[in-house]
Amino acid sequence: MKAEEKELLYDLLTKRVIYGLDAEEQAELNSFDPDVVEAEFRSLEIAAAAISMASLEVEPMPEHLAASILENAPSAGQPALEPAAPVFTAADVFNKSPRTSILGWLGWGVAAVLLVVLGLDVYHDRIEPRMEQAKTVEQPPQQQPRVLTPAEQREQLMRSAPDMVSASWAPGNMKDMQVSGDIVWSDAKQAGYMRFHGLPANDPSKATYQLWIFDQTQDKATPIDGGTFDVDATGDVVVPINPRLHATKPEMFAVTMEKPGGVVVSKREKIAVLAKVETQKS
Amino acid sequence: MAEAILKRVADGDALAVQECLKRYGGLVWSLARKMLRNSDDAEDAVQEIFVDVWKNAARFDETKSSETTFIAMIARRRLIDKIRYSTRRISADSLDDVLLEPFTRADKTLEISIEAEQAAEAMRKLRPEQQQVLRLSIVQGMSHQEISQATGMPLGTVKTHARRGLLQVRELMGLNNDAQEVGA
Repeated sequence: MKAEEKELLYDLLTKRVIYGLDAEEQAELNSFDPDVVEAEFRSLEIAAAAISMASLEVEPMPEHLAASILENAPSAGQPALEPAAPVFTAADVFNKSPRTSILGWLGWGVAAVLLVVLGLDVYHDRIEPRMEQAKTVEQPPQQQPRVLTPAEQREQLMRSAPDMVSASWAPGNMKDMQVSGDIVWSDAKQAGYMRFHGLPANDPSKATYQLWIFDQTQDKATPIDGGTFDVDATGDVVVPINPRLHATKPEMFAVTMEKPGGVVVSKREKIAVLAKVETQKS
Repeated sequence: MAEAILKRVADGDALAVQECLKRYGGLVWSLARKMLRNSDDAEDAVQEIFVDVWKNAARFDETKSSETTFIAMIARRRLIDKIRYSTRRISADSLDDVLLEPFTRADKTLEISIEAEQAAEAMRKLRPEQQQVLRLSIVQGMSHQEISQATGMPLGTVKTHARRGLLQVRELMGLNNDAQEVGA
């Protein structure tokens, strides 16, 4: 293939991967060896898909949208796998008619199983609670176990975790911060808590605090997101840590102030406090 | 097993449909929001994408790509169609944000897929102009013409950066031509 032809091929493939082609461009692409075109296209498409995910900040899908998709999934008797699915009769089933495609059966199979699941959900949501209600008439009410406060959970973790690391907060780059406290973390439990005294209250509609975990297994430029949290007027808080990834060997922690909801990439302009790991209980 | 949901969907496992939505719903929604920049359009697109996912589940081949990337490919095909047949264009006031957005990948993206991690690493090795063009075109869905206007680069240069950048990322990711097939 000549250099100009190769350049044209890759121009067309790049455009197809990124934007799609119009009829004229597609016709032009069709003039090339179809095997070469498809093979090149597939690998470029993977690269493009990966690039699109590489900088993506994943947000949760709205619940009403998820519910709507599930309603239209091959679960509610609407076989999405074959939009124009034929109506089956008993004769079709027993005669194994060629009209009965695998995808069609898959749709019905999924529908049948999901109906069972739906039935179980209904059972759990409606019938079981009623049965529970009936039981409560006959049995004395049981006391609900008390939910531990974050401070109590911290103490519990301190007692039970064999590999606790801890660090004390030091000032970051925000002015007028008089913060004390510490952070504890257990690799084994993948749990930890921050204690703060004097961390200023934030207005959650304008900003939030976000923890970053600098793990030995991660590039310094990409610390683990330890979750966001807000501080009320008292300034005395114990906050559980909710890392987005498995943290194995944290060596430093930082709390930054970010926009509501937190950020994927922190500019680190407002670092409230920092803590370098000092001790490790063996 | 983390990568087995689509196989189970294809095999008629009803719970897998729910699991698939739970695991990949956020990814598909976020891709749609990023490329379409309109929640209503994104909602319509996401519904169509998941219909495509159910249809194509049996085509997934774990030797060719991760399940996550396979679903992202399905999503991108549908989103590209949406953009081609709509009048959506990125608003001028968001251009500054787009152009200034750093491509430093935070840990949140590490969990998306191996390919995403490789792509981020590959992107960092490209020339800054190539990074910018790929980011604006692939991630933001801007046309070459729009990128040219926004960046001041000649149109031909934008196209060249897109072509060379994408080929380079593919090479750096070690992708050969025996890649994943997604049904039309």
